[in-house]
Amino acid sequence: MNKLTLPLAVMSFELRRSLTVGRIAIWFILVAFPVAIITAIHLIAKIEMGERFDPEKLVEPLGMAMYFLIPEVSCLLGLLLWATPAISTEIEGQTWVYLTMRSSGRRMVLIGKYLTAVVWTLSASLAAVALCTILVDSPIGSELWWVLTKLVVLSCFVHAALYLMIGTIFYRRTMVAAVMYTVAVEYVVSFIPALVNKFTINYRLRGLLADWMQWDDARSQAEHIFGNEPVSTHLQLLGVMVVLFLGIALYRVERTEYPTQQEG
Amino acid sequence: MIELHQVSKMYGNVVGVNDLNVTLESAAYGLIGPNGSGKTTLINLLIGHFCPTLGSVRVFGSNPTKDRSLLRNIGLCPASDVLYPNVSALEWVKYLVRLHGISRRESRSMAEQALEIVGMSDAMHRPMGTYSLGMRQRTKIAQAIAHQPDLLILDEPYNGLDPVGRADMTAVLKAWTDEGRGLLFASHVLQEIEAVTSSFLLIYGGRLLASGTADEIESILADTPQQVRVIGPDAARLVHRLADVPWVDSLSLSAGRTELTVSLRDPGEFYRQLPHWIRSDGLAIERLRTSNGNLETLFESLLKHHRGETP
Repeated sequence: MNKLTLPLAVMSFELRRSLTVGRIAIWFILVAFPVAIITAIHLIAKIEMGERFDPEKLVEPLGMAMYFLIPEVSCLLGLLLWATPAISTEIEGQTWVYLTMRSSGRRMVLIGKYLTAVVWTLSASLAAVALCTILVDSPIGSELWWVLTKLVVLSCFVHAALYLMIGTIFYRRTMVAAVMYTVAVEYVVSFIPALVNKFTINYRLRGLLADWMQWDDARSQAEHIFGNEPVSTHLQLLGVMVVLFLGIALYRVERTEYPTQQEG
Repeated sequence: MIELHQVSKMYGNVVGVNDLNVTLESAAYGLIGPNGSGKTTLINLLIGHFCPTLGSVRVFGSNPTKDRSLLRNIGLCPASDVLYPNVSALEWVKYLVRLHGISRRESRSMAEQALEIVGMSDAMHRPMGTYSLGMRQRTKIAQAIAHQPDLLILDEPYNGLDPVGRADMTAVLKAWTDEGRGLLFASHVLQEIEAVTSSFLLIYGGRLLASGTADEIESILADTPQQVRVIGPDAARLVHRLADVPWVDSLSLSAGRTELTVSLRDPGEFYRQLPHWIRSDGLAIERLRTSNGNLETLFESLLKHHRGETP
């Protein structure tokens, strides 16, 4: 029982440690950034369209924008900050050796840090989704909120596992590796109309967005972007990705001889 | 307690430690060697952080890289500093004890006890960013002993401690060894180790050159080639005595002719003959300086012995 709650102990320690002005400021920026852009788009549309403004016609473009800004950008920024450097900050801070000296240190610290990254980013992203939905005041606001909330949860769990794995493999220049991967794979490859984009997380999330929002027109016009697989396929593959990424990260963290930054 | 069998560790082409063979029973040992000699590599092998390139490491009968539960019996105080500025000593030590799978309540009580032993009870609720180097050092010792291990490994534990702190730390470590628990104390300063234990492991260039008590190591040195400096107004007059003997490799006289450096192949013979020469020739010799005062030279001498370059 004591061992089962260890990741929660790690999470509690990490969250307590993160209560710094800098980290709290970043949390607010992650919430404010999508809210500010969505508010601006909404206001410009209102002003430009004048009396022709119809909230129902804006559901799809605003929903797409919210999806792109929150599960695809805001979540990734938060996780880049939290999940990617999970191991490298301990190595650079020379504290890794203290953690590896504990019988459950390596695995539990990794899982605990994974949960911390998910909880921290999830809290900012869910706040952003709620605020954006309220500001847009869409006729299907609650449906949009629920779909985006599910996508944010999935994005956080899968991307956190991905970044954690990258962090355990590239413990030097971790952020560079993670940013390069994100830009190259999640933002470029995921839009390539070929088999390769089916291996990306964002392709699966976009497929779920189109499915859950029943945006069949968008799907038929851009099948290579939104896919045509059923929801269960997307969910299963995202689940496989989480297990695979975490499995590799756990294997790496157990086996790798990370430098201890000591001399002698 | 510790068994090393033909252990070597390579970092690419660089040798970390080379062919270490030693068996240590549960007791206190000083691991002495200059910076870069392989002390920390050896410690990392003992805690399973590194896997040996060749050979086998066993601690309490288990392989530390495979059996992580073994770490419950080992406490390590690394040389690196603690860098969690906004966390208190109590929170940190409690967290580390908790990572052994010990319950929250028990972890807190163990952490408090350990911090009391190192004299940190009054400051344990303050953030570690406000601590002096000495206080952080004590906190590091506390995290190493808090889970009550059977073997305590310390890497340069006196770093940053003032004389009072050093005396307190020595008392803590002596109390630890008096309880019959294992201790491995790595340092590059002989006097620090001597204050706690009289058993040494001497490591240099990744090789374990000698092990045993101070007397045993001295007896090895007596038969090991070494340099001796003879200092005094009549030092130059010893040259004619030493020039023809077979156990002298070289002689070097200082410009002031008051210091004679002698490279000896058989130091024992030198020490036997010297008093007779001083008496019979009526020489004024003030001092003899051997490699004991110079750790690098001492290790060079032991390295020669290790390579079999003794007479």
